[in-house]
Amino acid sequence: MKFLFASLLLTTASLAAPAVQAGAALDDIKSGDALVCLVSPNAPGFSVPDSQGVFQGFNADFCRMAAAAVLGDAAKADIRGVGFSDSMKTLVARGGHLASRSITATGTRDADAGMAFIATTFFDGQGFMVPAALGVSAAADLQGATVCAEDGSTTLLTLADWFADRGMSYRVENIADKTARLEAFFSGKCDVYASDVTALNSDRMLAANPDDYVILPDVISAEPLTLVSQPDQELESAVFWAFQVMLNADKFGITSGTIDDVIADLDSQPQEVARLFAADGAGADMAAKLGLPADWAYQVVKQVGSYSEVFDRHLGMNSPFKLDRTKTLNASVEEGGLMYPYPIR
Amino acid sequence: MWKSRRLAPLGQAFRTPLSALLSLATLALCLPLLWVALHWLVLSAVWPWQPAALCQSQTGTCWPFVAEKLNLILFGTYPREELWRPVVTSVLLCAMTVQTGLQMTGRGLPLRLGQTALLWLLALGLSFALMAGGVLGLAPVDSIRWNGLPILLLLSVGAIALAFPAGIVLALARDQDRVPMLARLAAGYIEIARGVPMLTFLFVGIFVLPLMLPPDTRISPVAATLVALIVFHAAYFAEDIRGGLHALPAGQAEAAHALGLPYATTAGRVLLPQAIRRALPSIVNSVIGAYKDTSLVVVVGIHDLTATARMAFSDPEWRSFALEGYFVVGLWFFVTCAFLSMVGRQLHRHSPAR
Repeated sequence: MKFLFASLLLTTASLAAPAVQAGAALDDIKSGDALVCLVSPNAPGFSVPDSQGVFQGFNADFCRMAAAAVLGDAAKADIRGVGFSDSMKTLVARGGHLASRSITATGTRDADAGMAFIATTFFDGQGFMVPAALGVSAAADLQGATVCAEDGSTTLLTLADWFADRGMSYRVENIADKTARLEAFFSGKCDVYASDVTALNSDRMLAANPDDYVILPDVISAEPLTLVSQPDQELESAVFWAFQVMLNADKFGITSGTIDDVIADLDSQPQEVARLFAADGAGADMAAKLGLPADWAYQVVKQVGSYSEVFDRHLGMNSPFKLDRTKTLNASVEEGGLMYPYPIR
Repeated sequence: MWKSRRLAPLGQAFRTPLSALLSLATLALCLPLLWVALHWLVLSAVWPWQPAALCQSQTGTCWPFVAEKLNLILFGTYPREELWRPVVTSVLLCAMTVQTGLQMTGRGLPLRLGQTALLWLLALGLSFALMAGGVLGLAPVDSIRWNGLPILLLLSVGAIALAFPAGIVLALARDQDRVPMLARLAAGYIEIARGVPMLTFLFVGIFVLPLMLPPDTRISPVAATLVALIVFHAAYFAEDIRGGLHALPAGQAEAAHALGLPYATTAGRVLLPQAIRRALPSIVNSVIGAYKDTSLVVVVGIHDLTATARMAFSDPEWRSFALEGYFVVGLWFFVTCAFLSMVGRQLHRHSPAR
């Protein structure tokens, strides 16, 4: 998800970055009639190829969102699975237009030329999973624990900082391969398994008996997982506002299933909804200025869905992971989360 | 005592009390393992025609997973409507490898060296063209979608086929004394390539090579990796062949010199044919090593068989079948390496005496 040498590569990449030209990426997408979108090759729930070799998942759907907004057809997203370090390079070298692969937005990354953070699609944070039998209820009890974590990841840095800040001792068991790492934890080689909370939730399901393991309430890092694109004002705006359309759809309870009914009877809808979807509304106005199809907002909701719809499809109640979105930071503001729909007018 | 030849090993195993004891002890060790394997593969396995839901309750192999994901493991994210292209590529490269292997043991089509080399160049060129598209009306497919078996074969077979001639040139350059500078350069190159881990070469190929190219030229990760593999394996082949050259009696070169043969003829007609024949066992050894090492390309983001197997069991619906995924990959490597070492054994038996 986020390897140490990424920063090094980003530096290398920025040296090679060609001069930025506004609108070039968007023009390139339109002239090629395809939006090249980079995802992680195997992140369960986020982006994994299905049996037909087509990427499916939460992150993959934001590729489709961008393609629906810019080209009017979600199927025109050319979704490619590339490794983390490689995706930055490919993006900068103009091989990809967009990266939707759980990249944590950080200051130094944003300061690098050659790529732009657009919109945070998922708020995550690092946490701990322990066997229920250990009887630990908070991370503060983990003095002297053996922690299983991914070799070479920022997880290790966060762990080191956290334990050092509290003057606690710990031992770390670095295992690069995920299957082996989980096996080490489930077989009792480590007391604690450290990873992002979402990953912990899905990994817990792989235990023979998931109820034997609990996820501690402590979240020890901030991981705003954000869409990244080539620097291009118009493309960034298009993708950012397409994401806002998905959040707004949730605000008004519109889904891909109900959008056609909404459109059919716009007069009875709230003003904000009418502005979003009407042919003479703010949405269409934006489309003209950004050079998008006039019905871009409709296409995003129709072909991809609202934010909660996408979440539930791949991570939430309609998926094997059964994550309750309303209990995460990804709940809407009204539900106490961080997802705040910007107004489109 | 044992009349039948087939039973002869059995007779040896129980000839003395000690060997009988050892045989029984070995059996006692192996039988439980065999039993576990049989149990996992057959007895408690879920067969492809049974519903996949059974896999949750059974402890054996989940064959429905393999059936569902076989295309993904073999060909990854290559567009499904173009699937015939990686299939043809894989079959072509396998056929060429089998032909060359059998030819070396004297059983394949009897082709001359030049014909074999030409055929290999054609096969590799055709494979790349098929996979990449953009010619002959084929839709272009980005190299990031060349996954699984065809990319493993392209990189391993391609690297070996191209590194071998490079190794010959390097070995000759190192093993001559007319241009000492060239000999030293070759020696330096070989020692550096053999003194550095392959991973370093892969990283250099992927991250440094593109920086050394003129700006605005893009080299695909597959091409960069192929270059890195060729550069690396050429050094090993060079040393194998140099060993063969050293094993030749000095009289061979001297006789050719005395006959007034120019250097190229001496090397091409007298020294190399004998040296390569002598070096064949160690060359086969290097080939097997190079083939297996190719799966390391997964660390530079190329999705070979191991990576596609991981994709297969990363699917949220099929997450608990890592063992089955790795089993398919292991089986492929076992079968192919068995073929390569079969070729190696045959060469051991027949070759050096000639």
